Amino acid sequence: MHKELIWLSLPALAAPALPAYAVQYLTLEQAQRALFPEAAAFRETRILLTAEQRAAIEKASRVRVRVPELNAWRVESAGKTLGWFLLDEVYGKHEFITYALALDYSGAVRGIEILDYRETHGGEVRNANWRAQFVGKRAGAPLELDNDIKNISGATLSCKHIADGVRRLLASYEAVLK
Amino acid sequence: MNLAEIRRARPLLGTLVEIAAHGPDAEAAVAAAFRAVEQVHALMSYHDPASDVSRLNREAAARTVTVHPWTWQVLHAAREFSLASDGLFDITVAPALTRLGYLPRHADFPRASSRADWRSIELLPRHQVRFACPLHIDLGGIAKGFAVDRAIEALQAGGVTSARVNAGGDLRRFGPERETVHVRHPQWPTLLLPVIELGEGAAATSASYFALHRSGGLPCSPHIHPRTGRSLAGDLSVTVLARDCMTADALTKVVLADRHAAGAVLERFGARALVIDRDNHTGAWRLRDSTPLRESHA
Repeated sequence: MHKELIWLSLPALAAPALPAYAVQYLTLEQAQRALFPEAAAFRETRILLTAEQRAAIEKASRVRVRVPELNAWRVESAGKTLGWFLLDEVYGKHEFITYALALDYSGAVRGIEILDYRETHGGEVRNANWRAQFVGKRAGAPLELDNDIKNISGATLSCKHIADGVRRLLASYEAVLK
Repeated sequence: MNLAEIRRARPLLGTLVEIAAHGPDAEAAVAAAFRAVEQVHALMSYHDPASDVSRLNREAAARTVTVHPWTWQVLHAAREFSLASDGLFDITVAPALTRLGYLPRHADFPRASSRADWRSIELLPRHQVRFACPLHIDLGGIAKGFAVDRAIEALQAGGVTSARVNAGGDLRRFGPERETVHVRHPQWPTLLLPVIELGEGAAATSASYFALHRSGGLPCSPHIHPRTGRSLAGDLSVTVLARDCMTADALTKVVLADRHAAGAVLERFGARALVIDRDNHTGAWRLRDSTPLRESHA
């Protein structure tokens, strides 16, 4: 039996449209513990990259080094180096992501965790007429930015920027930490 | 007992996978759920030369290939969706995606035959697969949903009271509460629209906004119409609600390809579609709903 969809037009959405959202998954300390549960100490080493190091990293990773600084922690347990914890940020067209990369003592990737995800505000609110048609009665819980936005269905951003960032960090490890 | 929610995100399956859970030992359950997603990623990635998908694309036209039971399960489900939709869902459109630059070129895959389609994939006993002619499969339209279902399974096995998994817009949840599902506006993707309240069940959205490329000066998207081989573009967002996420994920492609023919397919799988599109005459944006599910979703 061939059945056509009955496309009911919904008169209005249940709540006003919301621009963007942000979420913190882990604090710095939580991310360190999650990636290195056995660590005794995290020794912060902030490294300023020289022009030569920057050029080497860009060449090896094919990714531009925007910030000439490496946020690294040497991870120790019982006086031995377990590996490195690197904190980094990537920016895309719509999003801003803070993530941590854990490397073991040999420089191999041990894990990646997202700390913060934030969407930037583009020109999304400009069409007042369009927005007005969605303003109606709302049902259920209050929708607060940063708090209640949990289920976003639909083409979240690709993780290309994180993949590029990881490549850049691995090249940075080779150039300055190894 | 009101325990804090554990909420984690990792880059997997080419997107950001977010897993959240409430309950005793939620931390361990979330870790197990990520392991399940990682395994699906390793088996079904088109990019990874060691995945089951790459082994099939490289070898299955020449000889029978044995795959992991999960891969076989997805291939079997894909066949069901192709059969039910008369080919509107088809996992053999990979060559078109490679041409448009959405998928990498693998030099060691044999050249795909132009007459290959989903019927050319032979599913044999004991998780063996063979291709009737050289072809390239891509499970991008179904594996994310399957991964979400496996993660939900791991969370349930881990004894959490409620949880949700969201793999770049393919989401599923369970637990006593209901939560609002938001969909991105097709033209202003950072604008979030609340569309439905979900209790137990899955929602998957397909839209072209983030993945839009230009090909020959024309906008195109990674959604290929299987009968024409052309890319579907346009300001349109399709959300499918179903009991499991793999079904929701696969059926979004059927609705995108042909909204009118999709009715019977949605009904057969007990699914429901919500479409945001633009009225051709007035230019106004509208949200439309297919016939609701017989068993209520929320």
